[in-house]
Amino acid sequence: MSAITTIAVLPVVTVVLMTTLELGSLRVVAGRAGSAADLAALVAVNDQDDAELARSGRLVPAPDAADVARAVFKQNLDPIAGLLAASPDAIAAAARVSVDIAPPTVRISATVPVRTSFFGALFFHPITDVAVAANGGAR
Amino acid sequence: MITILVPLLFAVIEFGDVFQRWVAQESATVQVARYAAELGGDAPEVRALLDDSLRLSGIDPARSSLDVSPARVGWRQPLTVTVRTDATVAIPFLFATTIPLRTTAIVRGELNR
Repeated sequence: MSAITTIAVLPVVTVVLMTTLELGSLRVVAGRAGSAADLAALVAVNDQDDAELARSGRLVPAPDAADVARAVFKQNLDPIAGLLAASPDAIAAAARVSVDIAPPTVRISATVPVRTSFFGALFFHPITDVAVAANGGAR
Repeated sequence: MITILVPLLFAVIEFGDVFQRWVAQESATVQVARYAAELGGDAPEVRALLDDSLRLSGIDPARSSLDVSPARVGWRQPLTVTVRTDATVAIPFLFATTIPLRTTAIVRGELNR
């Protein structure tokens, strides 16, 4: 009886275990992607227009702030590139970056496709999209 | 049955703990990177912040390593901060091992020297 119960329960418990691991991994990657967006927005908004600051004393994001945001976003996605379903370059290039002058703000939002191979085998969902967004303001 | 279900249950708990540590370490790394950017690179204060952050997350800072590269940066220069720790996973009847956790954050120096 015990052996039959084990055989019956084993697949269910194994699926629960694998789902837990996949969800945990997805949560970590989502956190990492969120941090990457956060750092990108912060670094980009700190990239101030020095000439404007010296001339008028106003904080204005540098003309290349959007490029800086994408570059830092990409660099911070690189360590988890193996877990992503697209290259960090492509994800950063597709990210939506907006730079406002007043108040000086950088916003970045992106969709990060994450490999979820177990979900693919179980639910036909091999890639899970994680949406991340971050705002940074200079004060 | 016990020898199959107990390891599976412990695997859920142990790997859940590893994921929790990974997220906590990730967060600590980002905070440390931000602080290092403000101070212009590696400094005792940066290491103290990492130790405090890890300790608050239940991670022994004595078993962690911090790499700030380069050690000294100027305004807008890239700065890479890497934290390494080992997470122990022990699953009854199966195995006990350590999993290296490495987290990295890349920022730019904010100190105009």
